Amino acid sequence: MIIAEQKPLDEIKSMIADYQKVLILGCGTCVTICFAGGEKEVGILASALRMATRLDGQDKEFIEATVQRQCEYEFNEEVADLVKEADVVLSLACGIGVQTMNEQFPEKLTLPGLNTKFLGQPTEQGVWDERCLACGDCVLYKTGGICPIARCSKSLLNGPCGGSQNGKCEINPEVDCAWQLIYDRLKALGKLDLMMEVKSPKDWSASHAGGPGKIVREDLRL
Amino acid sequence: MNRDENTPGISPMEEMSPPCQVACPLHTDVRGYVAAIARGDFEAAYAIAREPNPLIYVCSHVCAHPCEEECRRGQVDEPVAIAALKRFAAERHDLSLGHGPPKPNVEPKEQKVAIIGAGPAGLTAAYDLARMGYPVTVFEALPEPGGMLRVGLPKYRLPREIIDVDIKGILEADVEIKTNVCIGRDMTLSDLKEQGYEAIFIAIGAQQSRALRIEGMDLDGVLLGVDFLRDVNQGRAVKLGRRVLVIGGGNVAVDVARSAVRQGRPGSEKEVHMICLESREEMPAHEWEIIEAQREGIILHPSLGPKRILGRDGKVVGLETIVCSSVFDSEGRFNPTFVPDSESVIEGDTIILAIGQASDLSFLRPEDGIELTRRRTIKVDPQTLATTAPGIFAGGEVTTGPGSVVGSMALGRRAAISIDTYLRGEDLTGLQFGEWRELDDLPPKTVERIKPLAREPMPMLPLEERAFNYEEVELGYTLAMAMRAAHRCLTCGGGAYVDTGKCAACLTCVRVCPYDVPIIKEGAAFIDPTECQACGVCASECPAKAITMKLYSEDQLYQEIDALFADAPAENPEPLIVGFCCLYCAYAADEWAESVRAQLPPNVRTLDVVCTSRIDIQHLLRAFELGADGVFVAGCVGDECRHTEKAANRIQGKVQFVKEVLDQVGIGSERLSLYDIPSAEWGTVPRIAQEMTERIRALGPNPL
Amino acid sequence: MKSDSNLEKVLSAGHFAVTAELGPPKNADPEVVRKKARMLKGCADAFNVTDGQTAVVRMASWAACLIQKEEGLDPIVQMTCRDRNRIALQMDVLGAAALGINNILCLSGDHMSFGNHPESKGVYDIDSIQLVKMVKDMRDEKKFQCGEEMKVEPRLFIGAAANPFADPFDYRPYRLAKKVAAGADFIQTQIVFNVPKFREYMKRVCDLGLHEKVYILAGVAPIKSSGAARYMASQVPGMDVPQEFVDRMVAAIKGIPSPKSIADPEKKKEVRRRRREAWQAEGIKICAEIIQQVREIPGVAGVHIMAIEWEEAVHEIVSQAGLLPRPTV
Repeated sequence: MIIAEQKPLDEIKSMIADYQKVLILGCGTCVTICFAGGEKEVGILASALRMATRLDGQDKEFIEATVQRQCEYEFNEEVADLVKEADVVLSLACGIGVQTMNEQFPEKLTLPGLNTKFLGQPTEQGVWDERCLACGDCVLYKTGGICPIARCSKSLLNGPCGGSQNGKCEINPEVDCAWQLIYDRLKALGKLDLMMEVKSPKDWSASHAGGPGKIVREDLRL
Repeated sequence: MNRDENTPGISPMEEMSPPCQVACPLHTDVRGYVAAIARGDFEAAYAIAREPNPLIYVCSHVCAHPCEEECRRGQVDEPVAIAALKRFAAERHDLSLGHGPPKPNVEPKEQKVAIIGAGPAGLTAAYDLARMGYPVTVFEALPEPGGMLRVGLPKYRLPREIIDVDIKGILEADVEIKTNVCIGRDMTLSDLKEQGYEAIFIAIGAQQSRALRIEGMDLDGVLLGVDFLRDVNQGRAVKLGRRVLVIGGGNVAVDVARSAVRQGRPGSEKEVHMICLESREEMPAHEWEIIEAQREGIILHPSLGPKRILGRDGKVVGLETIVCSSVFDSEGRFNPTFVPDSESVIEGDTIILAIGQASDLSFLRPEDGIELTRRRTIKVDPQTLATTAPGIFAGGEVTTGPGSVVGSMALGRRAAISIDTYLRGEDLTGLQFGEWRELDDLPPKTVERIKPLAREPMPMLPLEERAFNYEEVELGYTLAMAMRAAHRCLTCGGGAYVDTGKCAACLTCVRVCPYDVPIIKEGAAFIDPTECQACGVCASECPAKAITMKLYSEDQLYQEIDALFADAPAENPEPLIVGFCCLYCAYAADEWAESVRAQLPPNVRTLDVVCTSRIDIQHLLRAFELGADGVFVAGCVGDECRHTEKAANRIQGKVQFVKEVLDQVGIGSERLSLYDIPSAEWGTVPRIAQEMTERIRALGPNPL
Repeated sequence: MKSDSNLEKVLSAGHFAVTAELGPPKNADPEVVRKKARMLKGCADAFNVTDGQTAVVRMASWAACLIQKEEGLDPIVQMTCRDRNRIALQMDVLGAAALGINNILCLSGDHMSFGNHPESKGVYDIDSIQLVKMVKDMRDEKKFQCGEEMKVEPRLFIGAAANPFADPFDYRPYRLAKKVAAGADFIQTQIVFNVPKFREYMKRVCDLGLHEKVYILAGVAPIKSSGAARYMASQVPGMDVPQEFVDRMVAAIKGIPSPKSIADPEKKKEVRRRRREAWQAEGIKICAEIIQQVREIPGVAGVHIMAIEWEEAVHEIVSQAGLLPRPTV
């Protein structure tokens, strides 16, 4: 799932400074689940912005709406009238939704209200952890199902480095050492031989390093 | 139940209703008025309870409350004291606001309707028809309306001024009541038709005591129960001896026995016995009535059949009884069997028979075309209550035999709908009364998690003050008692509902629910109303706003928040403080809602919520947006929460979040405070209000 | 011989080798390097120049190596994967070799978050083991990482690091085996203070026969003060400082008054100097003792002295450890 978090209020305020009527547009999928841009967060942000801008002596109007999935034209079409009515759209979707809106409604600027953080797992209520870097060449079958690309600070393929201590990464005692986790898992699975193999440099061209990703399925195209 | 969507009595219900509402013959929104009491909104409670019930004051004292038998709280400990709460709501009601809702603006109709009998069935039908616009006349044989309410029920259960309150309300609905008019004696059904009544509702009740065909019935000292009660209630002299034997085990028998205790004056103490065929467990009278009877000294003799009345010099001296081994046969029919040679004698000088009542149907003439059943009741279509004579309907005890007040009222209501249908020329056979879907029992896992809370006992007139007078025995709840009693309600079916179109299946509700109710079903959250305890945690935390509460809905909460600011002066010398208080915490404190609120200065306004976990981030922000200078949340200390610690603790994170927003906005986090207050310390709320006021005063007004 | 490395010659001749660290400056002044080079000359067989250690910007390792070489030392260029992808790394390998640098130490590199540019984007295109393999393939197969061939290969003596004290302890000898399999010629370990633990590690390394395939140089370092001892014991990840050494550093200044208790600035300065000297003497002594202890451990082929920003100490350490003069081969 895409994990995002709201931008600081001050940054949002300065983004919308030149606009009077702002449509705050939430998205009902990933960012709803990660409490960043669902209908509830739209309401909270609208309330905060009404107060903050009033304190700044501005008279702004905030319209609230949420679509099911902001990365799809069909869902966004439902708010076309509201977009028309507004001076600017403040999107609480991930970066994909923001771009979809800009593409779909070129005459109206859509601003990002969130910072899109990572692909992650809601590991417990209120906690989200990065789990995938979308490297395009999954190695999980070699690493006991734990991703060293996303979860090792150095994306090592032949870890753990010398900074692994008590199961934690050297960069932060809150961060698990992915390679300790991999080692423990492989040991439990009786597959420590996978740790002995010198893994070759990774083919990063499958990731963003190879240019913007694109998948085309001719069989599915209309 | 959304009262706007359903006509009383007709239930095109899609959703499952709480068992109390289903059990109530009038389908009163019990959950609704109990919840209103719980949140301190007593007039709303009255309005909800009154809505289907023109005899609300009567019912609040004597309703047989079948609702309580079905109450799911009974699965945990004891049922909610629904009847007592209704009485509390009625007693709190300011009658100057009117007895019931104003008469709807309907086209006056010309077809006249006659109703025979001013008891619960007749009065209800009359009230309903009058509100539909029909000219209605009720013909009552007795000098005062009320029927058995007035002449059957003892005053210690139902003070007469209570009846008058309801009668007044019915008269205000433009019902005409003609007393001292006995159909059959003063006029006939044909006369009514000739006078232009296009529909007639027979609701004469069952006011004749059944007699026994045993030896000694003609002895001096043998009385009939209904006659005895009528004489007592009408203040006529009744002669009782020192040993009164009441035959019968039903509610009327108990009324007779308990009235007998009250007859006479000090010095004329008497011994009252009740003899009935049924075993103690089988006695048809309500259990609480039997227990009170015993407390008042009445001696029970269950499982005894009366064989003959013994007399000497034409006067009763005792009752010969025989042991009854079973009352009903294997098919459930009344067919008592007796143990041979088990005769014994109970001495007594007065015998009162209360073994059942029947209707006096002597007014019917063959030409009326009204057929009877084998049980000597009027034969009616059970759906429409139409008799075999066109335009003539019957309902109440005249069709059912002895029953309850509320049961008769429900038939009165049904008759009104039928009569309206008939008078509009529509086909009666098409009239169908929907079935109610009822919530299932609580599943065991839910029962386990619900905190038991003792039922608030009804304060009673001390035993020693009951003899030789008819003071009402049940004294009614105080406010604190009512609040505690109302908080026991599980708000069945009043909880969370999911808009599956909005649900993102994020699992938040699944994780936060203190009762583990929500599950993901077919890709969306599903909250089984059978299990939901309506704490509101899920609704306040759902990021998709896909969960709404049936009661305490988002709209309702916003309205209440907005209302706090309705009369706030523009130039306020004191800071405006808004408090969100968990009303449940009032539990251990006496007279909380009123006494504490009364102590609050006018600049402090409180909104009482069912649980602090129901409070949402947006609710708090809303208060600031509307101009609150300071906001506080006061809730239970973790393990005191009615729900669980899990629910009680949810507010902390939300308050922290809002504090951060307030800092970012520039209003300042110090304007929001959270107080954990042990229930025993609820009296400190005014002190908190004072503290907040001083602190916020120092900060100055909300910069907005 | 795989290279023209002095270190390789010393090790292959069976001598107990000594390497030492030469920290490059945080500026463009070549004199700093020259000065240190002159000070260190003769104390060790080869000299590491760190590559942006702790992710702080310093003079490029290859450049400081070149200056060092001009002073007549045998430099070891350190190369981390943090700042360069495989293209840049291979270019630098070619360049270093072309400049006459004979030794390379392949590292993954300290994470950016520790340094003075924590906002920077880390590269980590490949890791240290892959770097070892890549350099080895360049030297021995004359192939770039992509498989393409080259005419003149970089003749480098390839080193890698090992931390015997990091977790999981059981896996560490095997990770060393991977580095050996990837092509490491020599290993320089993390600083050893906990000698018994290092001995256990070396036992496992020898059990795997690794000491016969690679030269293992135990890392050592002098402790500067009791505060430094405490800091290393508690704050530096992967560092295992037994309490004994902390206590010895504390005891070293027993009898010298605290500078805080002295008002007179001259006397204060004097007391500070006395304390510093007492600490330094004890730190050097401990370091020399550790060298003598690790020298007895089977499989240890030498020591690597990391006197970070205290290069002056190296001579005394090597001297006290009885490792002077260095052999000429």
